Amino acid sequence: MNPKHTFIGAVDIGTSKVTVLVGEYTGDALAIVGCGETSSRGVVKGSIADYKAASECTHAALEEAERRAGERIDCVYLAQSGGHLEGFYNEAAVNVKAADNMIDKNDIRTVCDLAMAKQLPTGRMVVHHIRRPFRVDGRLVPTSPEHLVGQRLEVGYWTVHGQEQRLADMIHVIRGCNLEVRELALSSLASGHMVTTAEERQNGVLAIDLGAGTTDFVLYRDGVAYLTGVIPIGGAHLTNDLGIGLRLTENQAEKLKLRFGRALVQTRDRGDKVWLDGNYAIGDRQFPRLAIEQITAARTWELLEVVKKKLGANFSPDTCAAGVVLTGGAAKLPALAECAAKVFGVSAHLGEAPSWVSEALREPGYHTALGLLYYGIRSQTERAAAAPKRGSLFRGISRLFATS
Amino acid sequence: MSKTAATLPIARTWRDIPQQVKPRAMSREGKRRSTLRGLRLVGGLAALAILGTAAWEVVAVLQPAGATAPLPAARALPIGDNLELVTDGVLDRAWLRRTLALPASATLANIEPATLRLRVLTGGQVLAAEIVRHFPQTLSVHIAERTPVARIMAESGAGAPQEFLVARDGVVFAGQGFDPEMVKTLPWLDGVSPTPGGPGKALIAGMEEAASFLADASLYSRDLYRTWKVVSLARLASDGQIEVRTDAGTRIIFRPKDGNLYSQVARLDSVLDKVAGVVPADKIRKIDLSFENRALVAIDQPTPPPPTPGHKAAKPAHSASTPSELPPPPAPALQFKIYP
Repeated sequence: MNPKHTFIGAVDIGTSKVTVLVGEYTGDALAIVGCGETSSRGVVKGSIADYKAASECTHAALEEAERRAGERIDCVYLAQSGGHLEGFYNEAAVNVKAADNMIDKNDIRTVCDLAMAKQLPTGRMVVHHIRRPFRVDGRLVPTSPEHLVGQRLEVGYWTVHGQEQRLADMIHVIRGCNLEVRELALSSLASGHMVTTAEERQNGVLAIDLGAGTTDFVLYRDGVAYLTGVIPIGGAHLTNDLGIGLRLTENQAEKLKLRFGRALVQTRDRGDKVWLDGNYAIGDRQFPRLAIEQITAARTWELLEVVKKKLGANFSPDTCAAGVVLTGGAAKLPALAECAAKVFGVSAHLGEAPSWVSEALREPGYHTALGLLYYGIRSQTERAAAAPKRGSLFRGISRLFATS
Repeated sequence: MSKTAATLPIARTWRDIPQQVKPRAMSREGKRRSTLRGLRLVGGLAALAILGTAAWEVVAVLQPAGATAPLPAARALPIGDNLELVTDGVLDRAWLRRTLALPASATLANIEPATLRLRVLTGGQVLAAEIVRHFPQTLSVHIAERTPVARIMAESGAGAPQEFLVARDGVVFAGQGFDPEMVKTLPWLDGVSPTPGGPGKALIAGMEEAASFLADASLYSRDLYRTWKVVSLARLASDGQIEVRTDAGTRIIFRPKDGNLYSQVARLDSVLDKVAGVVPADKIRKIDLSFENRALVAIDQPTPPPPTPGHKAAKPAHSASTPSELPPPPAPALQFKIYP
C-alpha cells in the first residue's frame, strides 16, 4: 500500500439501512473501492435507540466494506441526522481597523469569531458552523474579503447543533470498532453536495433527502449552504400510514408502498384493485389502488409542506432558481418530483450522482455516503490548510504509527 | 465593538466528545483492530531497531580501519621511586622499597597488588596493609603497624639467639625502625618459648594477658615498672602467676588472674616502703603477692662468719659419732616476713 493513500470509511447509519463506502484518497483524488450495506437495527428516527443492535449492524457493514475493498479503513466520516439537530443564524459586523480601510486577516478573524460566538444551552454541541458570504459595506463578497477596501465587514454563520448524548452515541458506535471518527457531517449537507452542482448552488437550490426515518434538507444560496433542517418524518411514516389505513403489517405495507405508492394520485378508477402479493396464494388480498395512492400522496404532500413551512421566508421561488432536488431512499416514490414542484412552486427533479460515479452506486440511497466522502475530505483539507504545517519527517513517523 | 476575543463565549463542538473506548466496550472487530494496531506498533519499533542496527553496521563497515581501531593504551610508566607510604608507626619508605623489591621496569600494570601485600605483611611488624595503584605511576601503600610490649631472646633458624620484639597479640617480630631507647625500656620475657615459624609467624602463648598486666602495672606505678627487667610467664598457664625480676634481683610474684592487680601493686609499694629503711633493696630476694591481702617477703640474712680452723666441728671424721658432737645448724639464709 502506498503510504500516501488513506482509506476513508463513509458511514451513514440510517433508520432502514447502514451504508458504508470505502474511499481511497491519494491527496488529490478519491476512488471508491468498497461498499458495505446492512439492514439497520436499533436506530429510530436517525438516533441510536439500541446501542448493541446498532453496533452489530454497523460493524457488519464496516467489515463487509473492508472485505470488498481489500483494505483496512483508517478513519471514518460519519453522517449525522435526527430530529435533535437544530440550527440558528448569527451574524456579526466589525469596522475595518486599517486607516486605509483595507481589510486584513485580523478583521476577518475577528468578525468570524464574533459571528460564531454563541452560547449553547446545556447538553447541546455544535456540529457545523456554515459560513454565509461576507458583506463589505453591504456588498456581497462570495470569496475572501482580504485586501478589499471597505468600512464595515459583515458575516453570518448558520450553526447546526445537536444533543450531546445522541452525538456521542453515534461516535461510540464507530469507536466500538476501534475506528476514529475524523469528521462528522450533516446528512443533508453530504447528500446535497452530491446531487447539486456548483451552478445550482450558486443560483439557489433546495436539496431534500428523504430517508426512512427523517427528512433532511438544505437550502443553498450564493454557492453556500444557507439553511439546513431535519424533520423526523420519512418514508417509514408512509409505510406506517398504509399499515394503519389498510390494516396491514409493516412488511405488507412496505411492499405495497414500494409497488403501488405514489406521491400524486393518478388513478381515477375507484374499482382498480391490486393484489398484496400477486401470487394468488391463500391469504393474498386485494386493495384499492386509489386508496394506496391517496394515503402515500397525502403523507408526502404533508411532509413537503412541513419542509416548506420550516424554510419559511428563507425560501421563495425567486431565491431558488434551480428548484428542488430530491434524493434519499424515499425519493424513489413515483411522482415525487411533480409533488415537490407543486408544493414549492418551483421546478423539481430527482437528484443524480455525477457521471463519474459507477452504476452500482447511483442509487439515491448511496448519495449521502458518497457526499460524505467528498464533503469530509474537503472540510478536512480546509482545516489542514489552516493548521500549522508539521515537518515531513514528523509526518512520516506519524504515518508509520498511524492507527489502522 | 466592545467584545473582545477573550470574552467571547465558546460553544462546545462534537470534537469535544472523548473518543477513548475501553477494550471491553469494543466489538470483536474492534478488539481485532486494537490487537493489530499493537502488533503494528511493535512491528514498527522492531523495524526501526533493525534499520538502526543495520545503519550502524554499515557505518562501521564503511569506516576506515584506523578509525575503528581501539584507542592506544596509555604509555606504561615505571613506578620507580613513586612509592607512597601511609603508616601509623615507625616504618619508612626505605623499608618499603626494600620490602617490595620492585624491579626498575615495574609498572602499575604489571604488578600484583596481592603479592606485594603479602610481602609487606611478612615479618610480623605490619598488622594490616592495603596496596592502591594511582595511575599513571604511583603506588600507594597504607599500613597499620604492631606496637611492641616486650622483648624476647629467641633463635631464628640455626643462628645464634637474637633479640625480638613481642606485640600485644603475641606475634614475635624483628622490630625495625623503633627507637633503641624505647626498646631498652621493654621488659624481657622469660619462661616461655615462641611457637615455631620464625618472625611474623611465631606466637607467644598468654601474651594478651601478660600485655594487659604490664600495661596496667605501668599505669598504676610507673616508677616500680621501670625497675622490672624480666617478666616470666613460666607459671602463668599452670598457676596464673607472673614473676617479675627487678634490676635489683628481687623476684616479685603476681597473680593477675585474681583481678586485683591494683591491690597487688599497692601492697608491693607498701612492702617496699616498709623494708626500705631496714633491708637494702638488693637483699630482698622475693616478694610473693599471690596470696590474698598479704605479701610474703624473703630477705637475704647476713652470711655467718666462717668457722675457725680449731673448732671441733672441723673434725668431720667423727662428726656423726655422737649427737653432742654435731655442729650447730647453720643460720637460715632467708627470713620470711608476712605483711598483712
